[in-house]
Amino acid sequence: MSSSKIIELRKILAERYPQHTGIQALCTPTGWPPLDSLLGGGLPKGAITQLLIPNVSSGGAIVLHEIIEAMQDASRHVVLVDGKDCFEPSADHPFLLWIRCQNAAQALKATDLILRDGNVPLTILDFKQNPDRELRKIPGPTWYRFQRIAEESRTSLLTITRHPIAKSAQATISTTHQLNIDDLSSQRSEITKFISLEIIQLRTQLEYRYA
Amino acid sequence: MHKIQTQCFAVIYIPFYSLQCAQQKRALQICHHLSSEQLSLEVIESAIGRVPPQNIYDDASFDIPAALLDQDGIHVIELNPAAERAGIHPGVSTSQAIARASELVLYPRTLSNEQHLQDTLLQLAYRYSPFVENSAPGICTLDLKGKRIRKHQPWLRELLAQLRSVGLKAQAGIGPNPEIALQAAKIADPILEISQYSHLLHSLPLESLAPSAFLLDIMKSWGVRTLGALTRLPREEIGQRLGLEGLSLWDRAAGRSTNVLRLVQPPETFEESIDFEQRLETLEPLLFIITRFLESLSLRIESVYLLIAELHLTLTLENGEKIVRILQIPAPTRNVDTLFGIAAQYLETLQTTAPVTSFHLAVIPSRPSGHQFDLFQGGLKDPNRFFQTLARLAALVGNEKVGVPQKIDTHQPDSLRMLMPELDWSRNSIKKKGYPKTGPGLRRYRPGIAAEVQLTNDGKPNLIQSSVISGKIMEARGPWKLSGNWWDRTRWETKEWDIALDNGGIYRIAQRTTLQDQWEVVGVYD
Repeated sequence: MSSSKIIELRKILAERYPQHTGIQALCTPTGWPPLDSLLGGGLPKGAITQLLIPNVSSGGAIVLHEIIEAMQDASRHVVLVDGKDCFEPSADHPFLLWIRCQNAAQALKATDLILRDGNVPLTILDFKQNPDRELRKIPGPTWYRFQRIAEESRTSLLTITRHPIAKSAQATISTTHQLNIDDLSSQRSEITKFISLEIIQLRTQLEYRYA
Repeated sequence: MHKIQTQCFAVIYIPFYSLQCAQQKRALQICHHLSSEQLSLEVIESAIGRVPPQNIYDDASFDIPAALLDQDGIHVIELNPAAERAGIHPGVSTSQAIARASELVLYPRTLSNEQHLQDTLLQLAYRYSPFVENSAPGICTLDLKGKRIRKHQPWLRELLAQLRSVGLKAQAGIGPNPEIALQAAKIADPILEISQYSHLLHSLPLESLAPSAFLLDIMKSWGVRTLGALTRLPREEIGQRLGLEGLSLWDRAAGRSTNVLRLVQPPETFEESIDFEQRLETLEPLLFIITRFLESLSLRIESVYLLIAELHLTLTLENGEKIVRILQIPAPTRNVDTLFGIAAQYLETLQTTAPVTSFHLAVIPSRPSGHQFDLFQGGLKDPNRFFQTLARLAALVGNEKVGVPQKIDTHQPDSLRMLMPELDWSRNSIKKKGYPKTGPGLRRYRPGIAAEVQLTNDGKPNLIQSSVISGKIMEARGPWKLSGNWWDRTRWETKEWDIALDNGGIYRIAQRTTLQDQWEVVGVYD
C-alpha cells in the first residue's frame, strides 16, 4: 500500500474513531470521559498514575467501577489488584481479572507479576482500604521498580490510595467529593456528575523518565 | 517438447541403528545422572536451553568400541566399526567380546526407543516427500518424484542435522532406483548422489545386499565377494543355477531392481519415554529430560506443520503409583521455552510419595487457529505467558482468590464465584451493557467486622462501636430484610442498615438473625 493511501486511511480512522487513534500510542484510554479528558486521552502508557482519595465515602469505588465498566464496554481487559479484598462487583465483569489479596505485601507481589507479564494494558492497584501501617512498610524503590517494569511492558498502572505513596508516579490526581446518604438511592450517572478530579502533579515525559 | 522425467530416490540410512538407539538413550541417562549428582553449570544451562541439543550426543563417539547386547544380555548382536576392528563379531558372548576389547562399551537393547526413533525418522522424512517407505529399522526410502529441485544436498543436510539433534547419525544416498540409493547411502559420507550405476558400487561386499546365508555361501564358494564380481557373471547363467532368488540378487547388484515402494503414512503419535536406570529424587534431572523430549517432539510436530496443544505427562513412581497430568497450552505453540516453562511450573509444585522410575511425555498436536480480532479489540499479546502468570498468582493468593468474578443467582449478599479465565479469554467480545448502576460502590469488609450497636426506642441503630468505626449514627436507613434457604440447614437471614456517621462516612451494617442477632460492619460506601 502506498504511503498516500496509508495517510488517507489514518485520516478516515481518525475522523470515524477519534477516541481510538493517535493518542493510543502514549495513553491507555480507560473509556471513562472525566478521567480520559483530564489526562489528555487516558492514563499514561508505561507509567504509574496515582489517584488520591483522602476522605472516606468520597466516590473512590464509583471511579473504580466506572473505569472497569468502561474498559469492558471497549472489550479491553483490566486487572484489579485488590489490596484488602474489598471490591464488590456490581455485575459480571468478563473482562476483569480480580486478584483478591489479604495485605499490601501480597498485593505488591501480585502487581509485580502482572506488570512483568505485560499482557493486560491496565492494572489497578487498590490500596484505599489498607491500613497506613501496612503502606508505610512499602520500600520506596518498589515504586521505581514498578515504573521501570511498566515502561518496559508498555502497560499502565493506576494506584488508588488515601495518601501519596508512589513517588515515581507520572501523574497524581485527586478527588475530594463527599457522598451523602441520599446518594444511595441515586443513579450513579447522577453522582458522577459531582465527582471532580483534579491534577495534583503531572510530570513531563523527560522528568518522569529520569525520576 | 516433452521433458523426460527421470526417477529419483533418496535413502536415509542409519548405520548400526539399534546400537545408536541404545547409545542415544544412554546419553540421556548419563546426562540426567550427571545433573542429579553434580549439577554442573553446563548441564543446568543445557536444561534451560543454552547449549545446542546435539552436544550431549557427541560423547557417543564412533571411535570407541561399542556393542549391542541381545534381550538376554548374553550375546553381542550389533557392533560399531571400532568394535569390528577390535576383532569382535556378532554372536560372540559378552565375556568373549570384553576379552578382545577391554574398553568395549556394552549397551542393552531398547526396543521402545528404537520404535520412537523410527517414528521420528519417518515423520522427519515425510516433511520432504509424501512418498515414504519404512524400508527397515533405521532405513527410510523417499520417492522424490514431483520434487522440482536439482540440488538435493541442502535439504538432505538439513534432514541429517535434524536427526543428529535427536541423537542419530545418519547417511543419505540418492539414486535412480531405491537399491542404488540404498547402496549409495551405505557408503556415503554423509551424502552421496549416484545418477547411474557406478563403479563405486562394484567394490561393495555382497553382504551389503543382505542375501540369504545359503546364497552367500554359494557365492563365496565361487569366489564372488563383491557386487562387481557378481555382475560380471552372465545373468541367464545365474538364473539357471540359482533360480529367482539369484536373478533378484543379480538385478539388485546391477542396479536394475524395480521394486515398488510400499508407501506409509508416518504415525500421528508424538511421544517419548524413558525408564531411569537410577530412580529420580530431585527435579533437575527431570527438567533436563523434558527439555530434550520437547526439542525432539517439537521438531517432529514441525515436520507436519502442526502445533502442540496439550502435554500429557506420566510419571511412574517406585511404589507403582502413576501420576498423569494433562497440561493444556493456551495458545498452541512449538516454542520449546514456552512449553518447558508450562511443564516446569507444574513439576515445581508437584510432590510425589516415592522416587520417579520412568517418565513418559506425549504431545497432542493441533492446527494453528485463526482468529480475526475486531479493529480495536485488545487481545492478549502472549496467552501462554499470561496463563503462566495466572498460575503464579493462584500460587500466591490461592486458587479461589484470583479470576473473573461472576455473580451467583441468589439474594444472599457477597455471593459470587471466581472463574479462571477461559483459554479464549482474549477473544471474549461480549459486551454486557444495561445492568443497573445505582448508588455508590461498596467496599466490603471480608469477613464482616463484629460490632456493638445500641438501638433507639423505635429500633433504629443509634450508636455503634467496632474496631473500624465508632460513634454516633447520624442517620440510619433500613432495615432491608433478606433471607434464603429456609428449607435446609444453610438457612440465612439478615437485616441490613445503611448508616451515616459523624465523620462523613456511609456504612452498611447488618444484623445476622441466624447468628444470635450479632451485628457486624459489612462495608463502607465509597
